[in-house]
Amino acid sequence: MAKRNRRVGYGLPVVLAIAVHVVALLMTMLRLPDSEPTPSSSSVVQATLVSDVTATDQAQYAKEARARAAQRQAEEAAQQAAEQQAQEAAQQAAEQQAQEQAQQQEAARQAAAEQAEAASERRQQAAEQAAAERAEAEKQQQAAEAKRQAEAEKQANAKAEAEKKRQAEAAAKAEAEKQQKAEDEKKRQAEAAAKAKAEKEKAEKEKAAEAAKAEAEKKRQAEAEKKKAAEAEKKRQAEAAEKKRQAEAAEKKKAAEAAAKKAAADALSDSIANEQERIANAQQSDQASNSFINLVKRAVEDRWHLPANADNALVAQVRVRLGPSGELLAASITRSSGNPSFDRSATQAVEAAAPFRELQQLDAGLQRRFRDFNLKFTPGDVQ
Amino acid sequence: MNDSMSIPHLILNASVVVQLVMILLLAASIASWVVIFQRSFALSRAKKAQKAFDERFWSGVDLNELYRDVPENHQAQGSEHVFRSGFREFNRLMPKTRSSEAVLDGVQRSQRVALSREEDSLNANLTLLATVASASPYIGLFGTVWGIMGSFQSLSMAQQATLSTVAPWIAEALVATAMGLFAAIPAVIFYNRLSSIASRLLGEYEDFAEEFHSILHRNLQGRGGNQTT
Repeated sequence: MAKRNRRVGYGLPVVLAIAVHVVALLMTMLRLPDSEPTPSSSSVVQATLVSDVTATDQAQYAKEARARAAQRQAEEAAQQAAEQQAQEAAQQAAEQQAQEQAQQQEAARQAAAEQAEAASERRQQAAEQAAAERAEAEKQQQAAEAKRQAEAEKQANAKAEAEKKRQAEAAAKAEAEKQQKAEDEKKRQAEAAAKAKAEKEKAEKEKAAEAAKAEAEKKRQAEAEKKKAAEAEKKRQAEAAEKKRQAEAAEKKKAAEAAAKKAAADALSDSIANEQERIANAQQSDQASNSFINLVKRAVEDRWHLPANADNALVAQVRVRLGPSGELLAASITRSSGNPSFDRSATQAVEAAAPFRELQQLDAGLQRRFRDFNLKFTPGDVQ
Repeated sequence: MNDSMSIPHLILNASVVVQLVMILLLAASIASWVVIFQRSFALSRAKKAQKAFDERFWSGVDLNELYRDVPENHQAQGSEHVFRSGFREFNRLMPKTRSSEAVLDGVQRSQRVALSREEDSLNANLTLLATVASASPYIGLFGTVWGIMGSFQSLSMAQQATLSTVAPWIAEALVATAMGLFAAIPAVIFYNRLSSIASRLLGEYEDFAEEFHSILHRNLQGRGGNQTT
């Protein structure tokens, strides 16, 4: 035994044994960094819409979308008219907008009509479209009437303002005349006083001729000076009146320019508002679709029983086709995970979660979109 | 979830008793692997030596030459050890006694001693493997039972017992059993394998001892016949 131990030492075996344990430990440790970077998304089931609708369907969707957009525009026009009544907005801008909208709607209608011809759709759809167009036309007429009313009121407002201005000008003129008259009277009184003085002085002159002549000359000079001063004042007043008139004209011009600018700004802001409303509508439809997707996801997640041997890396895709009222028509595996029990669990989860009655609450277009969608199953964070 | 349920994390968070059990099991595992490697090397070397000596012995070489040829500081091993101790005894007894039976008895006795020593060295430390193989599952089970006891004790204070509150404790406790099995399984497998190799080698040594004994017996018969005639 002692000989054997000397021959086959324990150094190498000890090193090897420790190496074995270190490797075993590393294998348990190394699985951690592998599993950690996997996406830790809270959603276990990921849904994606299937975009394999046929070309004719797409054309129908496009038409419907256009019809909806036209309806939205008509609604926006009505809202704008209401807003304009309250505001002191420019009439021309509104008319231009109305014209533009009308043109847009007409263009949309023409496009829709062309598309209808091209697609050679069913008569029912055509009838529906015609009905939609009639509704649009009615809405447009309503909008136009509202605009006309708005214009009439605006005109009335403008006239009232013009009258007020005229009255204000007249008052200003009257005041100016009064002032002039008052000044004239003062002058006359002053002259009369001067004349009286002169007569008295003449009487005195008779008494004292030499002094009187000198005084008369002085008086004449004074009168001449006074007359000159009065003339200068008159000139000044006339100049002031002209200046006032010029200033008023400039103010009027400025007011007109400001009004034009305001009208342009209103037109711009209105177009921006239209755009924003369109975006908001798009977001709303997106939100509706997202909420439906989330609903489906949650329902499927709740009923999903993960098989015990499922690996976190497994991914299965299930194509779900729904009936018009949300009932399940078919749930088929489009991309297998390679684990049959995992695939089965995914389809069973969809079958258990069906029917999705919430589909009925969506718009017709969205409904058609969600009649066919994909669900991606990843175990993720399921414990 | 992954982080808190990783095996190193579970080991570090276990209670003291469970940790002691784990350390014991780790030591047992390392010791068993040391024995596994050491025995594997030793037995493969013994096998090689046995094969080489077999070829040399049956190549028709003179036995005296074979005995003298071996260098003195060389540690005889296996059947060579049996041969050398037997032949040494034979050479010592030959001049002292005329009785061939006494010589053969002595040779057989010395061969038996050599064989038992070889058996000892072949089976050295295999008992450790057997102990680890049989005891470590029980040790691991003890750690698990202790850990689950602790988990239930702490669970009694919790308001709600959900799977997520119980799971870490049980996982922690089960690590001890896993470690016990991790130590036991290689020990069982290699104990069986190594002991079978050792017993086969021992059988070969015994066969060689018998054959060598018969050769010596044949020689003695011939020599005894010559001396009597």
